[in-house]
Amino acid sequence: MSIFEYNGSALVAMVGKNCFAIASDRRLGVQLQTIATDFQRISKIHDRLFLGLSGLATDAQTLYQRLVFRHKLYQLREERDMKPETFANLVSALLYEKRFGPYFCQPVIAGLGDEDKPFICTMDSIGAKELAKDFVVAGTASESLYGACESMFKEDMEPDELFETVSQALLSSVDRDCLSGWGGHVYVVTPTEVKERILKGRMD
Amino acid sequence: MKLDTSGLESAEPVWATFNELADGFSAAPSFELPNTTDFDGFQKEAIQMVKPAKGTTTLAFIFKEGVMVAADSRASMGGYISSQSVKKIIEINPYMLGTMAGGAADCQFWHRNLGIKCRLHELANKRRISVTGASKLLANILYSYRGMGLSVGTMIAGWDETGPGLYYVDSEGGRLKGMRFSVGSGSPYAYGVLDSGYRYDMSVEEAAELARRAIYHATFRDGASGGVASVYHVGPNGWKKLSGDDVGELHYKYYPVMPSTVEQEMVEVAGA
Amino acid sequence: MECVFGLVGNGFAIVAADTSAVHSILVHKSNEDKIMILDSHKLIAASGESGDRVQFTEYIQKNVALYQFRNGIPLTTAAAANFTRGELATALRKNPYFVNILLAGYDKETGPSLYYIDYIATLHKVDKGAFGYGSYFSLAMMDRHYHSGMTVEEAIDLVDKCIMEIRSRLVVAPPNFVIKIVDKDGAREYAWRESVKDAEVASA
Repeated sequence: MSIFEYNGSALVAMVGKNCFAIASDRRLGVQLQTIATDFQRISKIHDRLFLGLSGLATDAQTLYQRLVFRHKLYQLREERDMKPETFANLVSALLYEKRFGPYFCQPVIAGLGDEDKPFICTMDSIGAKELAKDFVVAGTASESLYGACESMFKEDMEPDELFETVSQALLSSVDRDCLSGWGGHVYVVTPTEVKERILKGRMD
Repeated sequence: MKLDTSGLESAEPVWATFNELADGFSAAPSFELPNTTDFDGFQKEAIQMVKPAKGTTTLAFIFKEGVMVAADSRASMGGYISSQSVKKIIEINPYMLGTMAGGAADCQFWHRNLGIKCRLHELANKRRISVTGASKLLANILYSYRGMGLSVGTMIAGWDETGPGLYYVDSEGGRLKGMRFSVGSGSPYAYGVLDSGYRYDMSVEEAAELARRAIYHATFRDGASGGVASVYHVGPNGWKKLSGDDVGELHYKYYPVMPSTVEQEMVEVAGA
Repeated sequence: MECVFGLVGNGFAIVAADTSAVHSILVHKSNEDKIMILDSHKLIAASGESGDRVQFTEYIQKNVALYQFRNGIPLTTAAAANFTRGELATALRKNPYFVNILLAGYDKETGPSLYYIDYIATLHKVDKGAFGYGSYFSLAMMDRHYHSGMTVEEAIDLVDKCIMEIRSRLVVAPPNFVIKIVDKDGAREYAWRESVKDAEVASA
């Protein structure tokens, strides 16, 4: 079993009309054993920027702590929040720093940039950026997520429809994966508000 | 009546026919090798391909009113869930059930085979085969294939002239008589619930609930188990399927969601 | 083999651990206390390689004490857990400690809590947690019988149920267990569950 699949995870981010959604599963497992069903994989960097970290949970935690630290330094020095593009570069740099002993994480970054333009992006574990204008996925359920998103995504969705689409894509995908699921966690971010919802899901 | 020894014969004659020996050449057995550089890897992969149903939770126990048999319904290949609706409790005849853990094909085939043998026994002897006899029949067959890669972990549960019967049989040749068994990757979890809740003098309803609950808790903790928790009861008049509950719904029946503590209200965002 | 598990009740947290010191097929002693009293209101139950276990838990204990001396206030349980995770995570990419930890504590503000920290430094706050082969039996047992707001009697009853299950179902079951508790009155030993008496009386 790959080390990326040790804890199990599912992450997806989707773009809508002047908004985006980012969602993850809630399972923390050790291989096939479920340890907890309230694990956080998505974190808020600032009001308009979210980061999801799939893969090995310990590295996700370490990486999250380092990124928050670096972002706080940036805020102090620049007296403003980071732009999503800048943050993606920071993540990429931190990951490549460990080129020969990587963090076993695949990050998903989603944020609102200038003029409320949504930005989503994913990376491999050593920081190769992959930008997308529709959706990005990561984790052990990524294959199912690709299928679900590919068939359910529509351009320029309003926040409510986007939430529905992301939730359905996530829930149906994790139902085909042993290592992720046990509920879902969705954020829908618009220029004026952040909607956070916990999804009920299959608990097996 | 003829003693059936077909199960004892090995599947392939190891040596070539006698004629060749007479020619003075005993040709070593040969077969085509797969065209690959990594033979061990190929073989490993090939074995994996015919063994999809790895993760499972099945259980059975004897109590006052008969035998209770329960199982989940998930089939997985690695991390991928290939099916959520596998029938893991196999109906051998109206008085006997088998459970399925290990290789799906191996289990299905040999239970079907056992069903045939049980029916033939019935026709020849004008009486139903005992659970003891049936499980021994299966164990002998599996033992004769030992080391050839069969993967079966099964329980044979039923009702015969002696009352309820329960045996555990596996492809290593083991056969155990018992009051309570659980087989599969989720079995330790199921045992945890089963052992603490078991009493011999339970009613059918209590026993069914215990079995269902044990399967549910196993599916919660074990990633490779899930789907539907089916429960069967075998009594003096044969088996009856009592329930088949979707575990996804069962969870929220056992643990109704509390009115939101986690759900967050909309948050106003300060302009960036 | 090693079994460590614990749960949070109403106003207290309980951890139990086996007390066998094993090397391959040999049992060195069966009264090795694997639950350290970290400070007045914290317990640290650890399983893993014996050298690492003792070294690491003592290191954490000393540093937590140092913090208290320097600052005049004790670390909260959450802080101690995060500190432990940090040390484990730093060590992970150098010379890792093979220790799995359940950290139980009681704080005036937040009440009792239990933290799951595995040897690769995954940190998670849980209501009930377990490590080792015993986890397979005790987790489902605790899921079945746990409810929020358990009394000490109920919790001890559940712990005993788990111990009985491990003793009867686990091939390599350890004979003896120690149970410790932490509540508003501090961390202390609660009881031993012994089926084999060692020559010496008290644990080293």
